[in-house]
Amino acid sequence: MTDTNTLLALFKDVDPAAEAVERLRSMGVRDNQVDIISGIPLLETALGRPKKHTNVARLALGGAGAGFLLGLFLAYGTPYLFTVHVGGQPVYPIPPGIILVFEMAMLGLMGTAFLGVFLESNFPAYHPLKYIPEVSDGKIAVLFECPALEQEKFVQAMQALGAESVGTVEARQL
Amino acid sequence: MLATVKALFRPAAHSEEHEDPAEHLLLDARPRGEMNDMVMDSMHATSWKFWTVTMFLILTVLVCLVTAWGYMIAEGLGVAGVNQPEYWGIFLVNTVFWIGISHAGTFVSALLRVLKAEFRRPFTRAAELMTTFGLIQAGLSIFMHLGRVWLVYWMVPYPNERGLWPDFHSPLMWDFLAISTYLLASTMYLFLPLIPDLAMARDHSTGWRKIFYRILSMGFRGSESEWTHLKTAMNIFAFAILPVMFSVHTIVAWDFAMAIRPGWSSTIFGPYFVVGALHSGLAAVTMVLFIISRTMKNMKYFIRPEHFDGLGKLMLMITMTWGYFFFNDYIVEWYGGDTIARTLQKFLETGPLAWMFFLMLICNFAIPILTLWNKKLRRTPWVMFVIGLIINIGMWLERYIIIPGSLSINRMPFTWRIYFPRVEVFLTIGTFALFLLLYMLASRLIPLVPVWEVQEGQLAHSLSKFGKTRVATKAEIE
Repeated sequence: MTDTNTLLALFKDVDPAAEAVERLRSMGVRDNQVDIISGIPLLETALGRPKKHTNVARLALGGAGAGFLLGLFLAYGTPYLFTVHVGGQPVYPIPPGIILVFEMAMLGLMGTAFLGVFLESNFPAYHPLKYIPEVSDGKIAVLFECPALEQEKFVQAMQALGAESVGTVEARQL
Repeated sequence: MLATVKALFRPAAHSEEHEDPAEHLLLDARPRGEMNDMVMDSMHATSWKFWTVTMFLILTVLVCLVTAWGYMIAEGLGVAGVNQPEYWGIFLVNTVFWIGISHAGTFVSALLRVLKAEFRRPFTRAAELMTTFGLIQAGLSIFMHLGRVWLVYWMVPYPNERGLWPDFHSPLMWDFLAISTYLLASTMYLFLPLIPDLAMARDHSTGWRKIFYRILSMGFRGSESEWTHLKTAMNIFAFAILPVMFSVHTIVAWDFAMAIRPGWSSTIFGPYFVVGALHSGLAAVTMVLFIISRTMKNMKYFIRPEHFDGLGKLMLMITMTWGYFFFNDYIVEWYGGDTIARTLQKFLETGPLAWMFFLMLICNFAIPILTLWNKKLRRTPWVMFVIGLIINIGMWLERYIIIPGSLSINRMPFTWRIYFPRVEVFLTIGTFALFLLLYMLASRLIPLVPVWEVQEGQLAHSLSKFGKTRVATKAEIE
């Protein structure tokens, strides 16, 4: 097994960053060995990167379903346990129940979408991470793994594409 | 005939429409680092004026909210002006008003995001903060109205030794659920797009601020997967929070409309309330933007006349819609011929509250409709601030007329009475002071401008040659 190093190349614009991704691919770096860190969301197609998978929508859908069922239980299940007689209305009225079910379903949907971001992104992450603060000033960082023995070759390739800095990066406390 | 045609197609009319592209924030790009510094600078810069106003607001909250509420809790609701038949007084006027204000954030942020209205970008957060802080005031006002506020947990559905269960058939329970859902959802919706800006603030801070932002940004770096999860969730929220927003004020309207009372029992109350909420909410956003742009450092770069112009157009549209719903509600009761309903209308138009009724119409309809059609006025921030203030006065009066005003006249004439608020006046001042205080403190801790969204918009916009002119074009990079 070959030793690998993690390098970080910092670019000013999207165009050279996209070229860097292409060059890394041609140099044998697999897509899952590359990550792009940026201060704004960038289209995967703009960088020539594979589409990222997310389960946030599925989790949200599941949350909506759970909320819907909870709403049904509150509206139509609990009257079995605590019967509340309201003048002129049945014990299990449908129209008021719809309101309850709607609110609970929406709360479930949004609550799990919110939690989904945390779960999927592994938030909160207070341990040291590979990062460079220049990213929040608009720079684009291409983070990639390369064979330790060929590191210099990769550094030169990134510099040739206009990288402002290239080097190994250690995990740091953000 | 030729002369007429010439007059209609004067080139001068064309030049009046001409705008300098540099006036537009999204075409007047600055480096991201510079924009970050500007926003961080605006949070750090505090003058003696800021602290004086803060101290004044803290004192007002202590006197008008804490002391007055404590007095009411100790003495009971008897110290308030509410009594038969006006058992719903200013507390509920304030509740409805603040929920209305809270609609601004969702409307501006979610709807304009869904519609891809680009002018929203620099002020979505300022509006979203209003939602959260407005809902806090609404919740406090309900708690005041409850009287025995320490028993509020009785509304929470859980098996208990009392053998009691919340009545989910009641609009008041729907209110509890809808407002809780909206408060939670709007707070989450405020937080999600804030994460990248908190990470930016973390990278630009030292000392206790760095620790504060490090905790809140939760290790966000801006990796591809983090952005994907965040954008997906934000899209879900933008679509999902809109029906919740509509449901909240509709349910608030049903608190009234479900009662068979003159002045309240109306099928149109739901949408009428929603439009009223948007009316006051948008007006409040213009007020806040004016104050921010005038008092916070560097904010004039982000908040420009074009934003007031865009909001002014929305306000004009909402003014017309509000007028339509008001007239619809009014004429059905007028035509219906119900004796008590007509008596109530006459009471509101000619009785002791008549000044309020007509002032409401002037503030909510006449002044906005006469001013907001004018582009020059829409692009003058202080004018928009004044119009916003007038609309909010009008909307508060509208709620006063609907709640204690309508309760004055009922089907039992021997109970008719005019409502005079007592301790409620102090508590009202207290909620306004608390809202301002929270907003002022937040403005020094939270980046009020979503810098990453502004930069995203600036990257998407550019000037292209079109014939002999240069026009703004937008690339779909989202």
